Amino acid sequence: MTTNTNLNKFDSKLVMAHMHVAFVSLFIGGLMGLLQTLVRAGTFTLPFGIGYYQILTVHGVILALVLTTFFIIGFQFSLMSKTVGMTDKQRDSAWFGFWIMLFGTVTTAVTILLGQANVLYTFYAPLKAFPTFYIGLALVVIGSWIGCFTNFRQLYVWKKKNKGEKSPLLAFMVVINMLLWFIATLGVAATVILQFIPWSLGMVDTINVLLSRTLFWYFGHPLVYFWLLPAYMAWYAIIPKIIGGKIFSDSLARLAFILFLMFSIPVGFHHQLTEPGIDPLWKFIQVVLTFMVIIPSLLTAFSMFATFEITGRKKGYTGLFGWLKGLPWKDVRFFAPMVGMIFFIPAGTGGIINASNQMNQVVHNTIWVTGHFHLTVGTTVILTFFGISYWLIPSLTGRKLTSKINTLGIIQTIVWTVGMTIMSGSMHIAGLLGAPRRSSYSTYGGTEQASEWISYQIAQAVGGSILFIGIILMVYIFIYMVWAAPKGVEEFPLAKVSENAEPTPMFLENWKLWIGITIALILFAYTIPVIDIIQHSPPGSPPFDIIIK
Amino acid sequence: MSNINPLQKENKQPASESEPELKGTLIAVFSIGAFIVVSWFIVFALFVAR
Repeated sequence: MTTNTNLNKFDSKLVMAHMHVAFVSLFIGGLMGLLQTLVRAGTFTLPFGIGYYQILTVHGVILALVLTTFFIIGFQFSLMSKTVGMTDKQRDSAWFGFWIMLFGTVTTAVTILLGQANVLYTFYAPLKAFPTFYIGLALVVIGSWIGCFTNFRQLYVWKKKNKGEKSPLLAFMVVINMLLWFIATLGVAATVILQFIPWSLGMVDTINVLLSRTLFWYFGHPLVYFWLLPAYMAWYAIIPKIIGGKIFSDSLARLAFILFLMFSIPVGFHHQLTEPGIDPLWKFIQVVLTFMVIIPSLLTAFSMFATFEITGRKKGYTGLFGWLKGLPWKDVRFFAPMVGMIFFIPAGTGGIINASNQMNQVVHNTIWVTGHFHLTVGTTVILTFFGISYWLIPSLTGRKLTSKINTLGIIQTIVWTVGMTIMSGSMHIAGLLGAPRRSSYSTYGGTEQASEWISYQIAQAVGGSILFIGIILMVYIFIYMVWAAPKGVEEFPLAKVSENAEPTPMFLENWKLWIGITIALILFAYTIPVIDIIQHSPPGSPPFDIIIK
Repeated sequence: MSNINPLQKENKQPASESEPELKGTLIAVFSIGAFIVVSWFIVFALFVAR
């Protein structure tokens, strides 16, 4: 039996393997999130001796690391296959990377589920997990590197065949994102392989805590952009097609991605502003570099609004904002990512507040921060990923997005919006009132301040419950699109660039220049402080593995 | 090799004479900028007050 798909069946199978892992992760991670909010509301006790920090670790690892990485790598393979093609050899290496990542994921997951890794997804030392937690994570990273180099090879082969041509926009974006990922994961790989694994195996007695946290956040901030850039790929190069328009500017899109590559890595210290042992001058420098990311973010906002306005006006809508009526609000492929984009306005604003030195002291380690990243990755990114799924999954499985599923998708987006507004909103407010993040339910000895947080914690449970309904809906939609939707051909929407756009200058593809500047900025921002951290750190810490259960 | 890129043949023509009207875009982006600045100062005021 032949099925109609946009990619060839071998590439489709590869991408779908990634999608299956992503959606299983969504369900498990979402369930853990629901349980957390119920525990924190003070109304629910976990059964069977399951610990709060155990489910918190599962939630963070499986959603922030597993779901995102598998979805992104799968989605990016689909874009590369579509734009520059994939040879049999490249596909084999992609599968090899997939199986290594999956093996690593299962290893880490089993360790957490056995209660041997209650260290949360940031796995801060001196909390110690059983070694297989770190070994599994290292395998996930190594598997993803195979994906990186497969993508690099795909574009290299295409460029050799098409000398003098600029690379396809989406392939360019994928390679930027994988460059960012590779450079960033060198930090987390270094701390896991050189520090955590020997320490957890008992080969060394102590760990340099500050160095491990610095290497983690060298990775941890660009991780956020690794999540965001695939959403931006959809915004820049797919949404215009869905709304019946064109890409505002190919050059602007490429420039924004280059700026993200340069300015999302040498900025990890803004996560460590309250950390002793780092010279304030270098914190200041990295905060300034952090703020540079506002430029490509606002370039993206401008580009998207311009695409919407030009398209709306071409359809005959007039007035200052009349063109908004010309957008296909009833098409879930547009509606879900659009809601994600709207959420990025408060999400990005919160990020600027977090990275500002004084304001960081107001919100640091409070549940405001949790509210913040549930807006960025938990809404902007995930709603865009859902929006992508509505056309990607059926186009890979040779099925159609039906009007019924379209309507259900719109309902799902609204449910998500309501749930997240309640949950993240109450997290933001409680954070400003001083409520801590990460911690389980406590009355803190009956202090008056803690009593102010309770109503917000109940609101978080209400929002979390609504969000879990959203997850059930999305998992149902996924299952339907994979196995039950009617057979047919679903469009793989790739937009063309507007005829009004200027030609793209070739220097935007000067990889040596952009990688060189990126490395120079990283060396500038990290060399002296890291030497300082290694030379002047206090004595290392022995492991603590029984603190939180 | 699988599917060939449809983005290739674009962008060869010179820019059109008439600029598109982007008043709404300008105001929308400025509004986002204003939202960021106002939110920043609200939390800054909280910091100062504490």
